[in-house]
Amino acid sequence: MADSKTAMGPALATSEPNIVAENVQVRYTVPTNDPSKGSKGIRRVANAISGRNGTTTVRALRGVNLVAREGEMVGIVGANGSGKSTLLRNIAGVEQPDRGRVLVRFQPLLLGVSAALQPTLSGGENVRLGCLAMGLTPDEASDAYDYVVDLSALGSAIHRPMGTYSSGMGARLRFAIALAARPKILLIDEALSTGDATFAERSERAMDELLAEAGTVLLVNHAAKVIQELCTRAVWMHKGEILMDGPAEAVAEKYRWWAWNVAKGEEDIADKLLADVMSNARQEEINVLEPEMVRNPIPRHAARPTKKKGIAARHVRRRDERREVEEDSIPQLAAAEPHAWPEEITAPTSTATFPVLPKPAVEAVGSQHWNDEPPPLRLHPGDKRVILRAADPNDRASSVAASGDLTGQRLASKVRLIADQRYADRMRKRRASGEAPHAPEAEADDSSVPRRRSHTTEDARP
Amino acid sequence: MNPLGLTSIPSVSSEGLVPVGKRTSLRSYLSSLWERRYFIVAESRAKVSGSTRKNILGYAWLFINPLLSVLAFWFIFGFILQSARGIENFLGYLVIGVFFFGYTGKSMTGGTGAIRGGASMIKGFQFPRAALPISVVVRNFLDFIPSLAVMAVVLAVLPPAEVLTWRIILVVPIVVLQTMFNVGLACFLARVGHKFPDTSNLMAIISRFWLYGSGVFFSIEQRLADHPVLLAAMQFNPMHAFLTLTRDSLLYGVASPTWMWVSAVLWSCGLLVVGFLFFWRGEENYGRL
Repeated sequence: MADSKTAMGPALATSEPNIVAENVQVRYTVPTNDPSKGSKGIRRVANAISGRNGTTTVRALRGVNLVAREGEMVGIVGANGSGKSTLLRNIAGVEQPDRGRVLVRFQPLLLGVSAALQPTLSGGENVRLGCLAMGLTPDEASDAYDYVVDLSALGSAIHRPMGTYSSGMGARLRFAIALAARPKILLIDEALSTGDATFAERSERAMDELLAEAGTVLLVNHAAKVIQELCTRAVWMHKGEILMDGPAEAVAEKYRWWAWNVAKGEEDIADKLLADVMSNARQEEINVLEPEMVRNPIPRHAARPTKKKGIAARHVRRRDERREVEEDSIPQLAAAEPHAWPEEITAPTSTATFPVLPKPAVEAVGSQHWNDEPPPLRLHPGDKRVILRAADPNDRASSVAASGDLTGQRLASKVRLIADQRYADRMRKRRASGEAPHAPEAEADDSSVPRRRSHTTEDARP
Repeated sequence: MNPLGLTSIPSVSSEGLVPVGKRTSLRSYLSSLWERRYFIVAESRAKVSGSTRKNILGYAWLFINPLLSVLAFWFIFGFILQSARGIENFLGYLVIGVFFFGYTGKSMTGGTGAIRGGASMIKGFQFPRAALPISVVVRNFLDFIPSLAVMAVVLAVLPPAEVLTWRIILVVPIVVLQTMFNVGLACFLARVGHKFPDTSNLMAIISRFWLYGSGVFFSIEQRLADHPVLLAAMQFNPMHAFLTLTRDSLLYGVASPTWMWVSAVLWSCGLLVVGFLFFWRGEENYGRL
């Protein structure tokens, strides 16, 4: 188990990033009932008319830096309200962060808990509607229909209105629809926790294939055990910040121990644990190298007038004034100061020579104007095409191969191999932890956590 | 690596990475909107069938509803009140006014709530958000076609007979112009309604005021004969232009004034461009509800 983890480590470190979140900060101005946050004067009169008590500003994300690479499945754990779902919504592009930015290689697909698309339509009609919304043509949608029905395993319920589904059935259908477009980046927000055991099996297999095709999955789940089993890496979020980022086993273990103590009401132990983790954590920074700098030592934006700045700041500027910022006494990792760039670029980073990375199909195949105008994001590179990796994109070797030929088949079989490998690893891991793969989940978290706790105390002791 | 085994994030190249959820250029926005044309049609058909499926008679209501409303108008205005009010073929005048105004009025109220109504789609999938207000208009257009059919039958059957000329075919460009106008209006109000949810409360009032101001039940030329300034302002109203053009072509078979055609074309194209650009400028914000 440990061997496979370390073997996977270096391979991941060299792979390309699929998601880069740089200093993502989000604030929400929300109404509050808190009498201490009440307003005064004319605003109080206005609030009385509108029936509100006052507003407060919640900092949902306080500067999150996260890089997820291809083939990685990153689990996100954290207490309720720690900003997990907000982070996923921002990475999906549903919302724009107030500060910072999110870069992705492909259009991410967000799977939330609100499963019903159009409650009055039947499941089958919802499949079609969802496929079309993701940009599939009607022909592709009808091709995908069988796959979706098969994966969701709903049987004859597929013909019933989606409003009559149970939440688990809705989540299954929603997941199957999302996978029908074969997305490269999948963000799962608690969506799989409602499914039953057989569906968990199917969905894990489907995600294995996605990961093997150099995709990336971000998984939010409250059960730390699921994160440990499925993910290669885990991130612990706390009050809008990333507290810990590392191998899934270690992070989930720590989180589990903390959560168990909080649940048992042993606040002082939990606080001590948290303080321990925080003292070891440090604000991680990402140095995002712009393509101009990689190619050309003289940055282009140093020479040209930065006209863009005013435009870029438009969505950042807030017109609504906020009077009260909800703060707490816990020392935060990121002070409020915005940081986008390191103050000085140290010698190693500036002299680093980056290989010209292979491009995704949408760019390598298509236009020359990638620099002027980014292409519209797609869920996945073109279906029928496979890009052969070559150092120089202008090289003839980096040509486009049809999926029917040998190279395509070889890559496809390699994908299947990797997916099977992941599956076998997981099964071995489960067996090692003393569970039959299909055993009823009688073992509640309560009983398993103390056992794990003793492990962790041994590990933590030097 | 620090003692906890935390990895530090190294420098990453942003090559091949694109900011997510940003507003794209107008050209690529339009092309991705064109790619979703099947989605727009499927979404609006789903809404039509979703609204009728609850009823026992189902799709039949698409025809029964306008038919009953025509009967009601005929009973009140033609039979009880006998109020032609100096208008030739008053029933036809009224029916055309009510149906054509209803198309725009429903697009207006539907467009205001388009973003909030499509919240589950917005959160679930990434598509150009303009698909939502456009599908509202398409949906109302699908509702409008049965109304048109009913209207044609009623006008042909009930006396007095209208004057049939070649100008009947002018209804087609009028409907096209009105649809363009509705798309622009729905897009414009979709962004306004997303920013200020209170707008939906106003819409019922504004819609009614507009209904009376467009001369659906009466001729504003007759009523406002002694207020020339107000009359000119009211005639500038695009709905008045659409209604008058339709009545002239369909009912009376006479040529409409040229300035009215110019006004209708200017309104349609102008609002389509302005409304769509206005909506597109707010593209990044619609996810926050």
